[in-house]
Amino acid sequence: MTPTYAIEADNLIKKFPSRQQPDKTGAPKKKFSLPNPFKRTPPTLFTAVDGVSLQIHPGEIFGLLGPNGAGKSTTIRMLCTLLEPTSGVARVNGYDTVRNANLVRQNLGTVLAGERSIYWKLTGRENLEYFAALYHIPPAIARKRIDELLERMEITARANELVERYSTGMRQRIAISRALLARPPILLLDEPTLGLDPQAARNLRELILSLKTEGHTILLTTHYMEEADQLSDRIGIIDQGKIIALDTPAVLKNRINQQDVLRLEVAGWKPEIGEKIQSMPEVGSLVTRYMGSESLWELTLHTPNSRALLPKLIEQVNFNGTHVANLNVVKPSLEDVFIQLTGKALRD
Amino acid sequence: MEPTLSAVPASQSLSHTTLGAELRAFRMVVWREWAHFIRYPSWIFALLIWPIIFPSTYILSARALSGPDGSGLGRFLQTAGTENFLGYIVIGTLVWMWQNTILWNVGFALRGEQMRGTLESNWLSPTWRFSFLLGVSPVQVIIMLVFIVVSILEFSLFFGLRFNANLLSLLLVVLASLPSLYGIGFVFASLVIAAREAGTLVQLVRGLVMIFCGITYPLSVMPIWMQSFAEWLPPTLIIRAGRAAALTAAPPAALQGDLLKLLLFGAFWLITGYLAFSFMERRASRRGTVGQF
Repeated sequence: MTPTYAIEADNLIKKFPSRQQPDKTGAPKKKFSLPNPFKRTPPTLFTAVDGVSLQIHPGEIFGLLGPNGAGKSTTIRMLCTLLEPTSGVARVNGYDTVRNANLVRQNLGTVLAGERSIYWKLTGRENLEYFAALYHIPPAIARKRIDELLERMEITARANELVERYSTGMRQRIAISRALLARPPILLLDEPTLGLDPQAARNLRELILSLKTEGHTILLTTHYMEEADQLSDRIGIIDQGKIIALDTPAVLKNRINQQDVLRLEVAGWKPEIGEKIQSMPEVGSLVTRYMGSESLWELTLHTPNSRALLPKLIEQVNFNGTHVANLNVVKPSLEDVFIQLTGKALRD
Repeated sequence: MEPTLSAVPASQSLSHTTLGAELRAFRMVVWREWAHFIRYPSWIFALLIWPIIFPSTYILSARALSGPDGSGLGRFLQTAGTENFLGYIVIGTLVWMWQNTILWNVGFALRGEQMRGTLESNWLSPTWRFSFLLGVSPVQVIIMLVFIVVSILEFSLFFGLRFNANLLSLLLVVLASLPSLYGIGFVFASLVIAAREAGTLVQLVRGLVMIFCGITYPLSVMPIWMQSFAEWLPPTLIIRAGRAAALTAAPPAALQGDLLKLLLFGAFWLITGYLAFSFMERRASRRGTVGQF
């Protein structure tokens, strides 16, 4: 019987033990003190995932969007059986990730972030032959499947070269082929385009869309909002271990349609100007980002009324050597949704 | 035209676990280990040079101690039961190097995967996880057998080493040694993956073997408490049985006490190795340390 949900998580919590540094306890610091190597601070628990619940339908691309450290990878690791939840339940294709871990592994193809999930001293083809055996695919089917994947990933001509001679994009394609070997109904892709050049990233996004048309369910984590927007049927925005919003990209962006989004480039930026702008009653939220040259900063402002705000804003900024270099009223993006929900940028 | 596998709806995985599939996976782990071994060619130098360098220091010391006319050999015969100090030292140091190689190669097998970044991708598959540790061992056994043959050839050539061996006894000693030596390696591999650093532990284990197991001297020169402790270390039994089989042509019946004890130790260490691995696997899964290095 086909389960209702391809992936289901119910109140998943993951806590890790961590040792707090002595100087973060709030105790007054002595002027001259040597660290005591024998003193161990008591372990505390750090909550990486805090009550995540979600249901992903068969055939859906679900994007988990959030900044680094938000809990995306920890969630993926719990779903793919590498990590046991502290509490809560997760099911993949109807199988419990703790009690039926091996059945979950048979039904999942996972690509974790980073390019070292394959053997650099084996060829591309050897890697796939090795992993096909680990995934218990019968040899005759495995041979056919490997040829098919190498062809699809356009690696056939270099399939017999050692992976150490491949580009980052080619290694990622072998890693994705590894995940696809068993033709699993469900794919978990953790930051799949991280570190790829724009062309390789575009090709990979096209591949992900074509996998959806073949019927695969895909859970994708990313901190690239355009990627999540382009690929996902639904998006869960995750921050500090909690899912703070979950819906289709269009509905999420509609949430802030009552707001205007202003994007300014300011030259000669000084932090005190930010404080002044933030204190203006028309400003809903403000996020600043250094743009890398001559004190050029990008400001993203949410306001219910940009017409009323603009004159006052320009007056505040064009002062004492600081000036507006560029100004746009832009369409809200998923990043703006994130800013509205958390008061900070995705890349913070 | 034959349909491609991609054309089949992606609702059923091609992955089906059977005993045959598990055995194929195990064979591929062995093959992967072998492929990595032969693709790092520096091992050839290690295999040629290391067997003769390490024992040479002891052999030359022994020659100095026996005196220019070999008059000290009589004393050695009284305590060790043989005048063949060359063979005596070679057998002892070979067992030490064997244990040492297992600690570094089998003991660090999972750690190596962890540092390479491939442990997680292996563990994402439905293959029995202990296979990844077991699969390292056959290649290491082959490497060690080659190492032993190279050692014997080199010592025969450069030092005139001669054996008076019972080959059947020697074979039985080697076979009976495998479970305990590799069982210790499995325990060690589990500790290494949990601690993520094991240099100190390696030094400790090989130090214990070096001092207590009599790799270059008879146990009788040690205090009684050390001799009693040594009896609990499998390398002591391997060295003693190995010397008897290789230097005095002892028949299997003469070695049965040590061989039986070795098999019992082997069962103990293999079971302990599996339990340690299972404990470590669960702990790593709870703490999220599988992929950390």
